[in-house]
Amino acid sequence: MEPRFLIQNARRIVAVAIVLVALAAAGTGASAPAQSGEPIVVGSTLSLTGAFGATGVIHKAAGETFISWINANGGLLGRPVEWKLLNDESDPAKVSALYERLISQDEVDLIMGPYATPNIVAAQAVAQRHGYVLPNHTAVLTYALTYDCQFPTWSAGGKPNLAVPQTVFKMLKTEQQTPRRVAFVTNTGGSTNFISYGPPSSSEGGAVEWARKQGLNVVLDLKYPPTTSDWGSIAAQVRAAQPDFVWNSGLALDPVNLIRAMEQLDYRPKQFFTLFPAPGPLLALGQASDGVLSVTLFEPNGKLLKKLGRKAQNIVRLFAQSAASNGLSYRVFDSQATASWTAWEVLAAGVRGARSLDNERVCDYLKANGVDTTFVGKLRFNPAKNNFSKPRNLVKQIQKGRWKVVWPPALRVTKLQAG
Amino acid sequence: MNTYLQAGVSGVMTGGLYAVMALGLSLTWGLLKVINLAHFALILGSAYVTYQVTTSTGADPLLSGVIVVPCMFAVGVAIQWVIDRFQVDEFSSLLLSFGLFIIAIQLISNIWSADFRQIEAAENPYATRAFFIGDIAFPVPQLIALGAALALAVATYYVLRHTYFGRALRALAYDREIAGAYGVDHRRIGMLTAGLASAMAAVAGVLVGINQPVFPELASEWVGLVFTVVILGGIGNLLGAVAAGILIGLVYSQVSVAWDPLGAPLVVFLLLILALLFRPNGLFGRLGGS
Repeated sequence: MEPRFLIQNARRIVAVAIVLVALAAAGTGASAPAQSGEPIVVGSTLSLTGAFGATGVIHKAAGETFISWINANGGLLGRPVEWKLLNDESDPAKVSALYERLISQDEVDLIMGPYATPNIVAAQAVAQRHGYVLPNHTAVLTYALTYDCQFPTWSAGGKPNLAVPQTVFKMLKTEQQTPRRVAFVTNTGGSTNFISYGPPSSSEGGAVEWARKQGLNVVLDLKYPPTTSDWGSIAAQVRAAQPDFVWNSGLALDPVNLIRAMEQLDYRPKQFFTLFPAPGPLLALGQASDGVLSVTLFEPNGKLLKKLGRKAQNIVRLFAQSAASNGLSYRVFDSQATASWTAWEVLAAGVRGARSLDNERVCDYLKANGVDTTFVGKLRFNPAKNNFSKPRNLVKQIQKGRWKVVWPPALRVTKLQAG
Repeated sequence: MNTYLQAGVSGVMTGGLYAVMALGLSLTWGLLKVINLAHFALILGSAYVTYQVTTSTGADPLLSGVIVVPCMFAVGVAIQWVIDRFQVDEFSSLLLSFGLFIIAIQLISNIWSADFRQIEAAENPYATRAFFIGDIAFPVPQLIALGAALALAVATYYVLRHTYFGRALRALAYDREIAGAYGVDHRRIGMLTAGLASAMAAVAGVLVGINQPVFPELASEWVGLVFTVVILGGIGNLLGAVAAGILIGLVYSQVSVAWDPLGAPLVVFLLLILALLFRPNGLFGRLGGS
């Protein structure tokens, strides 16, 4: 370019440059409000190794998605958000020590709950001692979460031991699939035992008692330890009882191992329900797991996701990317990711509503107002019910290699597949 | 009655899998005086490689043994070289191999994440298959494990009894200095033995891979049961390890049916305590039954 040309057109060039800069500034402002100041630091632990590691990674992927998303959308109170994440190695003792460190030494502004009930209970004691708000995503032992500033987002109701069986058996009855012979196979881990038998030292009961009260014929009630390796003898007992409905209050890989062992004995009940499965490995069983039922908060099935709009669709897409970068083989935004995302939304809504990082004010705001969430609707928190919202138990079923919501009728994307 | 019989068959065959896992550990502990906790990481690593090879190539999962067995043999040789080079004694080998175990599990987590990994049903022809005699099912994956345990134990027993390598190895186990005076090269024999033990871990890993989903924490779940098999079978006694594996599987399954699955671990570990008190050399004696 000739220097003469620049001199002759200097005014025009400057004018064009000013317009371009102004447009760029406007564009930035429209997509993400400016953030300034020190980042808000949220501290938490997750079980990235140890017994809960496989599911802990899902919560890491969901948390990272949320942090990227909120920072791309203006941050919190105009400040960027930073997540200080520590590995608790699935050890509740380490959870206590690490939350103490996050609050006392690192002086984080806010905290987020860890994964899995025993760890959440451990973190609750520390949060309560320091007066921190504790949103948490996966607490099941509703009776053990008594701190009035803990906010659970696994909305199974205050009594999931009654609400879950009520939902499942009501669905079966409505769909004219009421079982004649029911077998209960229960992992004695805290959460699963609670769903089958209710709280300790209480006559309330759980799914087993509920089924009996409904007049169902309970032909087997078997408990197994969390470290079971001999599934053959359990499958043999199930086969001998000849149930047409198996209720497995199991965790992670339990249903995979039980279904595989039953298949090896050439036994498949008409219906199989499981509580908290690892969703991916069940699908990998192929035909053997077709028709398996479970509960969920949300599944990104076409119609359901479309109804929630673009924001939800983007979140589901971003989560899949984060899951991939975290090495997860199953990248679907299912119940675990939903609970995690919702817990982060609760924290953000509390801060925005209180317009402050003061944990007491955030807690008061959440108790008074609840939160409108993207995936599970309005959550209301009532300390008299340990802040557990009303039950939202969707029932999902594996159909043609995918989890699909089959209950309730208002939210289902397909009908229950008959056994 | 059928329930007891079926559970018993399943238990015996599950015991076969415990036995395959225990063979290599028993071999190095009994003959090299190395308590190799890294053995469990080698089993798990082999299971992951089986998963990876099968899902990447679509090949029969058992064929992955062609890759993992020689690889783990080499790893076993390398570990033994370190142990020999630094003259690590029996107790220190426990600490050293514990460190290796932790490192290996972390490496596995870094490569495959903490997520569950499982060979898809379409690529695993063994997962849910079984042979039947009447109503009694013989699940294929456990049947293969039991067969492998028996074959490896008998072959090793033969090698220990009837070859120069076996005699040299047993001589080393009894008295290294005297064996050395007779020209036995303890370094070479030790590395070869450790390599064989790790190759056995690789076989166990392939069998785990076709039998169940894997995740990094899985290796820790095996430690208690497999050590029980080694101790009950007699340290260094491979046929004893197979018998102990079958016994534990059988006891586990029968207690599970007759009483409660919750009671099975209690009975198995009570059996271990009684054995340690009354038969400290194991139910079948040490070193090849001698």
